[in-house]
Amino acid sequence: MAAAVRRGKCSAAALVEASLARIAATEPRVNAFTDVTAARALDCAATLDERLAVRDTTAQALPLLGVPFAVKNLFDVAGLTTLAGSRIERGKPPARRDGPLIARLQAAGAVLVGALNMDEYAYGFTTENTHEGATHNPHDLTRIAGGSSGGSAAAVAAGQVPVTLGSDTNGSIRVPSSLCGTFGLKPTYGRLPRNGTYPFVASLDHLGPFARSALDLALVYDAIQGHDAHDPACVSRPDDRTADALALGMGGLRIATLDGYFADNAGPEARAAVSRVAQALGATRIVALPEVERARAAAFIISNAEGGSLHLPDLRTRAADFEPLSRDRFLAGALLPAAWVQQAQRVRRWFALGAAELFRDVDVLLAPATPCVAPAIGTEWLDINGRRLPARPSLGLLTQPISCIGLPVCAVPVWGCHASLPIGVQVIAAPWREDLVLRVAYRLQSMGVAAAPVAELQ
Amino acid sequence: MTPQQIEAYVDAAAAALGLPLAAEHRPGVLHYFGLAASLADLVNGLALTAADEPAGAFAPIAAQDVPLREGALE
Repeated sequence: MAAAVRRGKCSAAALVEASLARIAATEPRVNAFTDVTAARALDCAATLDERLAVRDTTAQALPLLGVPFAVKNLFDVAGLTTLAGSRIERGKPPARRDGPLIARLQAAGAVLVGALNMDEYAYGFTTENTHEGATHNPHDLTRIAGGSSGGSAAAVAAGQVPVTLGSDTNGSIRVPSSLCGTFGLKPTYGRLPRNGTYPFVASLDHLGPFARSALDLALVYDAIQGHDAHDPACVSRPDDRTADALALGMGGLRIATLDGYFADNAGPEARAAVSRVAQALGATRIVALPEVERARAAAFIISNAEGGSLHLPDLRTRAADFEPLSRDRFLAGALLPAAWVQQAQRVRRWFALGAAELFRDVDVLLAPATPCVAPAIGTEWLDINGRRLPARPSLGLLTQPISCIGLPVCAVPVWGCHASLPIGVQVIAAPWREDLVLRVAYRLQSMGVAAAPVAELQ
Repeated sequence: MTPQQIEAYVDAAAAALGLPLAAEHRPGVLHYFGLAASLADLVNGLALTAADEPAGAFAPIAAQDVPLREGALE
């Protein structure tokens, strides 16, 4: 897209107009957007086109020249109130400036076209938002998009925008990527600054992009890297340019499939997707992480307590205004004993040390991203390998242990394991090795094993 | 925790925090507190030693490390 604008084959304005037209045509069925910033987008595109008209070489070199994008509505967008999926934030003053990642994408030539639906305060895996209505899965409109960044995945799958930003605390990028059939990157914890977004769980929150190809994901990721001291968790490290290294291939990469917990909590379609990916990569080795169930429990306890504590003032005075699907979990979380939370943080470090041991002799791990394909909207229970599990929390069973210890993951969409729907595989690497997960994702896409087609929306 | 222990704890902790629980919210809160308690059993079941530190270390902030207020240069 950026190359077409650079070569003069189309204008930035044409790309933005096409995106706005697609949003208008599909939004009544998908419900991915909560705000469309059409005037801002058209202004921004016109400015880019004016710079290109006078052969501004800086503009011509922008890596995301004219590429429309949208963000989960917990990102600060200048002039919009940061809703974080809530009713409570409505009426609060609008953000005075864009969050840093939006500013960086815009500086790279991308054009913001709107803000996207999500589970309230990011506490959910389904984007069945009671205030805004559910976001519908573009590949089957009767099904959920996943969450909490459901609008971010659905907008990409529906062809409304080629790239979006979302957040992932326990799986909120990887779950909707899996259910909507998009590529999604959850970078290492601490890699990207989170200031300028509404927090959920400071100990576990990550931001990251969605796209329809590994290359687009890498281009966006490269554009948004960089330290920002306003996020105390953001680590000052050199940027790690990934797009130019995508085609390095698999030479020497040691790839293994995670067994145990990750097979036990995956249905047949999820296990088939992992097998297909492993086979394509020639990965025959099977490994296990110790005490995964306890690590998942630790992430749950930390999320529940930090989330409840963050919202305690509103829970005291206006609990009835919270999303009914998560309100009682927030209330319970505010009451957890400190000893549980402290122990959970110790378990977390113990588990991270175990994973570091495993990465001494393996470079990439494979695991399913969700236990099953997208369930119908309103589903209360899942049957996973004969066990009846509550649907909403269980969609994150396979992602939660990995984000618990902040490992970088690319969710890659695999087709053909279900009659008509995609399911994702997590490609996981050691901390700070986003380059490896993107390289493997690129390889899988090149082989035709992973793909993110635009939904037909029939 | 038994259901009775959960009820007693939830009501006492909510009172201590000044967090009123509406009658229609209380059953859900008890349910989710019970879920957290069962997961806490898993967390507490891992044998750790005093040397097993928590994740997340505090980073001291020197005067020169204080970030400018966002937008301060506008």
